[in-house]
Amino acid sequence: MHLPAITVEHSLGRLTSIAEEAALFHELRRRTLSNLVSRALEQSRLRIALVVLLTALLWVALFFVFTDAFRFVSVSLEDTNTRNETIRSLMSLFFASLVVMLAFSTGILAYGNLYSSQEVRFLLTTPVRDERVFLHKFQEAIFLSTWAFLLLGSPVLLAYGLAEGAGWWYYGALLPYALAFAYIPGCLGAIACLLIVRYLPTRRVKLFGVGGAVVVVAVAAIAWPAVFGFRHAWLTPGWFEEALARVRFAEYRLLPNWWLSSGLLEAAHGSSSSMLGREALWECLLFLALLTSNALMLHLLTMACARRVFRTGYTVLHADRSSDRRISAAHAEPWLTAPGSLLPERLRLLVLKDLKLFRRDPVQWSQFIVFFALLVLYFFSTRKLSFDVEYAAWVNMISFLNLAIIGLILSTFTTRFIFPLISIEGRRFWILGLLPVRRDMILWSKFLFAVFGSWIPCSLLAVLSDVMLGVTADLMLVHLLICALLCLGLSGIAVGLGARFPNFRHESPARIAAGFGGTLTLVISTTYIMAIVVLAAVPCHFYSALATTAEVSEWFSSEKLSLWWSAGLGASIVLGITATVVPLRLGLQWFRRIEF
Amino acid sequence: MIELEHVSRTYGQKLAVADLSLTVPRGELFALLGANGAGKTTTIKMLVGLLRPTSGTVRICGHDMASDGRAACQLLGYVPDEPYLYEKLSGREFLHFIAGMYGLAMAERQERVRQAIEQFNLEGFVDDLCETYSHGMKQRTVFAAALLHDPAVLVIDEPMVGLDPRSARIVKDLLRAHATAGMTIFMSTHSLAVAEEIADRIGIFAHGRLRCLGTLSEIKHELHADEASLEQLFLDVTAEPSTATLLAEKL
Repeated sequence: MHLPAITVEHSLGRLTSIAEEAALFHELRRRTLSNLVSRALEQSRLRIALVVLLTALLWVALFFVFTDAFRFVSVSLEDTNTRNETIRSLMSLFFASLVVMLAFSTGILAYGNLYSSQEVRFLLTTPVRDERVFLHKFQEAIFLSTWAFLLLGSPVLLAYGLAEGAGWWYYGALLPYALAFAYIPGCLGAIACLLIVRYLPTRRVKLFGVGGAVVVVAVAAIAWPAVFGFRHAWLTPGWFEEALARVRFAEYRLLPNWWLSSGLLEAAHGSSSSMLGREALWECLLFLALLTSNALMLHLLTMACARRVFRTGYTVLHADRSSDRRISAAHAEPWLTAPGSLLPERLRLLVLKDLKLFRRDPVQWSQFIVFFALLVLYFFSTRKLSFDVEYAAWVNMISFLNLAIIGLILSTFTTRFIFPLISIEGRRFWILGLLPVRRDMILWSKFLFAVFGSWIPCSLLAVLSDVMLGVTADLMLVHLLICALLCLGLSGIAVGLGARFPNFRHESPARIAAGFGGTLTLVISTTYIMAIVVLAAVPCHFYSALATTAEVSEWFSSEKLSLWWSAGLGASIVLGITATVVPLRLGLQWFRRIEF
Repeated sequence: MIELEHVSRTYGQKLAVADLSLTVPRGELFALLGANGAGKTTTIKMLVGLLRPTSGTVRICGHDMASDGRAACQLLGYVPDEPYLYEKLSGREFLHFIAGMYGLAMAERQERVRQAIEQFNLEGFVDDLCETYSHGMKQRTVFAAALLHDPAVLVIDEPMVGLDPRSARIVKDLLRAHATAGMTIFMSTHSLAVAEEIADRIGIFAHGRLRCLGTLSEIKHELHADEASLEQLFLDVTAEPSTATLLAEKL
C-alpha cells in the first residue's frame, strides 16, 4: 500500500522555472568570480601583476613574430589571389587541427568535471534540472579547453588583420567567430563523453585510448601523402603549388574550420566603399551565421543528449567504479617497481607512489600520448627535408625548432601534471608529513619522477627528429644535451614552483594548473625553452651556414664561430642549471616551513 | 513518506543492497546502523537520487525518484557525510543560493536564511568565505542549508561527524523537534548512542540486507535479548559467520 503523495505545493518552495534556474547559476558564477577577484586583489596583487605582465609579454612577442611572418608572406606572394589562397589553406589546416584538439580536450575535461566533481554530486541531490547541472560544468570544460586558443590565437589573427589592412569589422568579428567556432568541437567532445560513459562505461578508458589512436592514424593517413612523393624540387613554385593542393583536404566545404578561415578572410577584405568590399562583408556575415547556427544546433543536440543520458550515465559509471578493480590495477605493477631499485628505499617508494597514481589516471595522460604520437608522425614527415634541402643551415634550424616543439609540449606536461603534484596531496598530506622522512626527500622524489618520466620520451623524440633530418653526430649530441637540460630545467621549475605556490583546496589538477602558480610555471617554462634553444641554436646555425657560404666578417670567421658555439653551449648549461636549482631551492625553502 | 520497494543494487558482481523493502512514515526518525561496507551509503545514495536501483522502486512522498526525481528532490533535504560548500561563496551567499534553488520567494528567502543563521549559530562566520571554515562550521552550514526549505524528508549521512558537543546537542534536539513536527528523518550512523537516544525505529544492515527492524525494545524482544545493550545487539547481528559455523550449517 502506498502512502498518500505529498505534492511539491506542500513544501515551502516551488520548482523553479528554466529562466529562474539560469539566473541562479548566473548569479552563482558572478558572485564566485567577484569573490575570487576581490580576494586575489586583497591578498596577492604582486602575483597577479606578475602573471599579467608575463602573459602580456608572451602575447606581444607572438604578435610581433606573426606580424613579421604575415608581412613576409605579403612580400613573397605579391599576387593577391595566390596569397589569399595560401592563407586560406594554412588557416584551414590550422583550424582543422584545432577542431580535433578542442573536441578531444573538451571531452576529457567534461568527463572529469561531470563525473568526478563533488559539486555535481551535491547538485544532483537538489531539484535542479539534470541538463542545467550538465551545462554548468560543460561551460567550465569549454572555458578550460579554449582559453589558451583564445589567448594565443588572438595575436595571430590580429597580426593578419594588420598585415592585410583590415577594417574595424574584421576585429569586431574575431570574438564571435572564435566563440562560435570553439563551441562546435566542444559540443562534439561533450556528446562523445556523455555517450561513452552511458553506454560503454566499462570500456571508457580503452575508448579514450582508441579515440586518441584514431586521431593519430587519421592525421597520419592525411599527412603522409601530403608530405611525401613530391614531383617538384623543394621550395620551388611547382612544389609550393603541389603542397597547397595536398593540404586542400582541410578545405572541405562542410567543415567548420573552412567556414572560419573563409569568414575571416572575407572580413579582412571587406570594405564599405566598393562593391567587392561590400560583398566580402556580406559573405563574412553569412559565414558567421553559418558557424553560429551550427554551434547553436549542436548546443541543442548536446543538451538533449544530456537530458536523456547524463544522470543514468552518472549512476552507471559510479556503480562500475565501486566494483572490484584489484586485478586490473595489480597486473602492471612489476614493471613499475623494477627501474627504481637503484634508488634509496624511501625515495624509491615515494617515486613509485607518484608513478602508480599517474599510471592509474588515464584521463590525465591520454592527451599527451596523442600529442607525442603526432610529434612522431611529424618527425617522420621531416625526413624529406634531409634529401631536398641543399643548405645544412636549414636542416639545423628545423632540428632546433623541433627541439623547441618537444620542449613546449613537455612544458604543458610539467605544468599540467608535475606542478600540481604537491597540491593534490591536499588533505592527505599528513600521511607524508608524519612519515620519518625529511620533507626535502618528498620534493626530490617528485623532481626525479618528473626528470626521468620526461627525459626518456623526449630524448627518443629528439633522436628520431635528428635521424629523420640526417643531422651530424656532433649536432645530435648537442640536441641530446639541450634535451636533458630542458627536462631538468622544466622539472625544476614545475616542482619548485609547485612547492612554492601549493593549492590544497582544489582536487582537480586542471584547476590547480590553471591558477596563479600554474600560469607562472607555464610562462617561465616557455621563456626558458625559447632562451635555451636560441642560445644553442644561433651559434650552431652560423657555424653550419659557414660550411656552405663564404665568411662574412671577422666576427663570423670559423675560429670565432667555434668560440661562439662553445660560449652558446656554456651559456645554455649555465641557464639550465640556474632554471633547475633556483626554483627548486625556492620550493624547498618554502616547503620546509609550510604548515598543514 | 519514504518507501523502498524490493530495492536491489549491484556493483558488477557484488550485491550491495539486496531486496530492501522499507517504509518510513511521516514524523518518524529512523536510524540505519551497519558495519562499514554493509550497504548504508548505497541505500542513502539511492534515496537522494545519486544512484538508481538495479531493481525496485524508491519513492519520496509518493514521487518515484527515477521518473519524478525533481519533485522528489524538492521535498528532500540531504546532509552528506562530506559537506560540500562553494569555497568562493560566503555562508550567507551559499544559503541564499540554496534557498533560490528550492524556489523560495525573495521575502521568504531572507527570513529563512536569517532564522537558519540564528538557529545554527552561524553569525560569527557566515559572511566569511567558506574556504576558511573548519569541518564543524561546514557541517553546521550544510545542516542549515538542508533545512532552509522545510523539507518533508531529511536524509542524513553520519550527522555528528565533526560537530562539537554543543553543536551535536543542538542537532539532536533539532532533529527530534522536526520529527515531532512531522518531518521524516532517515539517518545513517555509526554512533549507537545517538541512535538509541533519538531514533524512533532502528534498522541494522549487514551484508546488504536489513537484518533487524523496529524500536529498540522490539529488536531486543525479537532477538530474545531483553537485557542486552544496543552495542551487544549490533555486534551479534553484524558478526561475520565463522568458518566453523558455516560448515556446521552446511552439515
